[in-house]
Amino acid sequence: MTSEISQAFSDATQAKGEALIEVSDMDKFFGDFQALKDINMNVGKQEVVVVIGPSGSGKSTLIRCINRLEKHDRGTIIVDGIELSEDIRNIQEIRRETGMVFQQFNLFPHLTVLDNITLAPRQVRREAKDEAEKTAMQLLERVGIPEQARKYPGQLSGGQQQRVAIARSLAMKPKVMLFDEPTSALDPEMIKEVLDVMVELAEGGMTMICVTHEMGFARAVADRVVFMADGQIVEVGTPEHFFTDPQEERTKLFLSQIL
Amino acid sequence: MTTVIEPEERTAPPVRHQTPAEWVRANLFPNWYSGLITVILAPTILYLAWRAFLFFFVNGQWEAVEVNLALFMQGTFPRDEQWRLIAQILIFALSLGIGAGTASAAARDRAEDAGLPYQQDSVTGLLRRMWSLVGFIVLLLVFATTHEPGSVWNPFLVVAGAVVVAFIGYQARRFPRGLRNLGWLLTLVLLVVGFQVVSGFDAGGWVPLGLILGIAAYNVTPVDRIDSQWQRVIARFVAAAVVVFVIRLIYQTVDTTGIGWDEWSGLHLTLMVSAIAIVLAFPLGLLLALARRSTLPALRYMSTVYIEVIRGVPLITLLFMGQFIIGFMVPAGTELSDVTRAIVAMTAFTAAYIAEIVRGGLQSLPAGQTEAGQALGLSPPTIMRRIVLPQALRAVIPAMVGQFISLFKDSSLLFIIGIVEFLGVRRIVHAQEMFRGVSIAETLVFVAIGYWAFAFAMSRESQRLERRLRVSR
Repeated sequence: MTSEISQAFSDATQAKGEALIEVSDMDKFFGDFQALKDINMNVGKQEVVVVIGPSGSGKSTLIRCINRLEKHDRGTIIVDGIELSEDIRNIQEIRRETGMVFQQFNLFPHLTVLDNITLAPRQVRREAKDEAEKTAMQLLERVGIPEQARKYPGQLSGGQQQRVAIARSLAMKPKVMLFDEPTSALDPEMIKEVLDVMVELAEGGMTMICVTHEMGFARAVADRVVFMADGQIVEVGTPEHFFTDPQEERTKLFLSQIL
Repeated sequence: MTTVIEPEERTAPPVRHQTPAEWVRANLFPNWYSGLITVILAPTILYLAWRAFLFFFVNGQWEAVEVNLALFMQGTFPRDEQWRLIAQILIFALSLGIGAGTASAAARDRAEDAGLPYQQDSVTGLLRRMWSLVGFIVLLLVFATTHEPGSVWNPFLVVAGAVVVAFIGYQARRFPRGLRNLGWLLTLVLLVVGFQVVSGFDAGGWVPLGLILGIAAYNVTPVDRIDSQWQRVIARFVAAAVVVFVIRLIYQTVDTTGIGWDEWSGLHLTLMVSAIAIVLAFPLGLLLALARRSTLPALRYMSTVYIEVIRGVPLITLLFMGQFIIGFMVPAGTELSDVTRAIVAMTAFTAAYIAEIVRGGLQSLPAGQTEAGQALGLSPPTIMRRIVLPQALRAVIPAMVGQFISLFKDSSLLFIIGIVEFLGVRRIVHAQEMFRGVSIAETLVFVAIGYWAFAFAMSRESQRLERRLRVSR
């Protein structure tokens, strides 16, 4: 069944143009529980892929495997030509090319906004302090909160914190950004300010994989929508096709529940 | 319809003024059983307070303390070398002044940058935190007025001098921002110098200053122009090595012996031994905690076994073992004094507890913090050093200071292995003709007040440190 489905959608799983991320035949177990089954997915350069699905379907696990926050048990993951392996240097290299934004922001509460952003460029890329801070200020400008640079995360609203988290990831100049439900922990009135930043990023040509429940965002920005259930990719398609003419029963059921 | 309240319309909650009668009714007799408790407890407390007053001011024979005040303070420390202790007090006062000034300035900087309210240091604030210690010093001065003929140093002058010097050091808060680290460096260097004023600047004593200044040199070496990572590290190491070499040379040239800790005693010994054990136990405990969470099984097991064995053994046992067993573990012919053995035992003991406290702090940190660091491509050591440890250690300050306070108090056990520390001085006092079998309660109460004064001040200071570091949350 699993392979039939992935076979049926093999056309759709192929990215347009050159692939930046290639996931093939990937399995992931938590103990005896199989969290991901036979995942095949390619993401092309400058492509925006939105992953949706019911909770527990493995969406987060999928993108956490891509930068090795979770270790996959079978199959291959290739990011920008580098295959994820046990080699720590290999992993570091991939992590430097992938930015990640978390549901809970995960800012470092003991550091100022500016230090949150400059920590990695200074430590990993050995940028000089002035240079790193200049870049950080430009990024804060871009996400619209340059005046908060000297504050601590605890002083900011959730929306502002998430925008800082995005700026922090961008400071490493990643080739792809992974978003793990970036707006799920936000108060409703703050969701838009974060989505606006994400839309702007997408329009600027950033390659993105977003796990989200924001269907409006998926419709507006996604090049492809991936629907997952029970650890498998059930259906892949363009937003128009996906929201208007879903093929699978499981997809139809999910859409009927949330729309 | 909703009413919008304009900010200026908002008012403070009404203040209700209580009459004394209302206060008594609300707090002492709110209902019949609380009233009953008040009726029983109030006379008891008043009676005990009266007895305490009689003991302290009327019946107490404080002569045993007055006459032996110097003995309690410095024990059998050679009297003609007393200038060393005075110098130590002054240098420590300067060091602590600089440290406090630098800390205050650093906290001010942080708060100003972040636009947070900042409470300026004040003398009243200091007194409120340190009142137990100030009170103890006043008590010492009161006892000193009855005069102790052997001493040429007027205690008042020493205290006044220490206050003045500390105030001068506190002016380090006026240093420009770029010199904050210089403030910290001066604090550390003066602590070592203050220690060695007593113990002597002998040729072998270069290690602490060499370490401190070597690390400082490693960090301040300007390497931004050097591109290669390796060359940078080498340049830094060379700079550090040169500094260490110079320090060593200076110590070899000076090479004067002082009074080693074998000859220390009294409150001086208690404070010094506790401080040394704290300074050594903290890094050791930290390493043990990290080892216990290591992915290398050998390291993990060794650390776990160490911690569990030490925690399962009473400190007094370790102290005795220090006397009789450490001898087998060092090369033959190594001479170890009783005090050295005691410091080793106390350090080993405290490190195990610190390790468990730090481990608790490490575990309390949400996994997201490490994950965020990993996702940014930071290396595991950097994540530990810049993200995990700063937060984990902040979280466990109260528990850690608690452990240090208990180490400070447990140093009184040294008295059982024949070292004359603060409590042990009593044995000498009551061996004197004049005080044999008398004033036992008085000396005991005096020593208790001394321990309490320091322990309480440490506890208050840790509360403030906790608040201050929470500014950044």
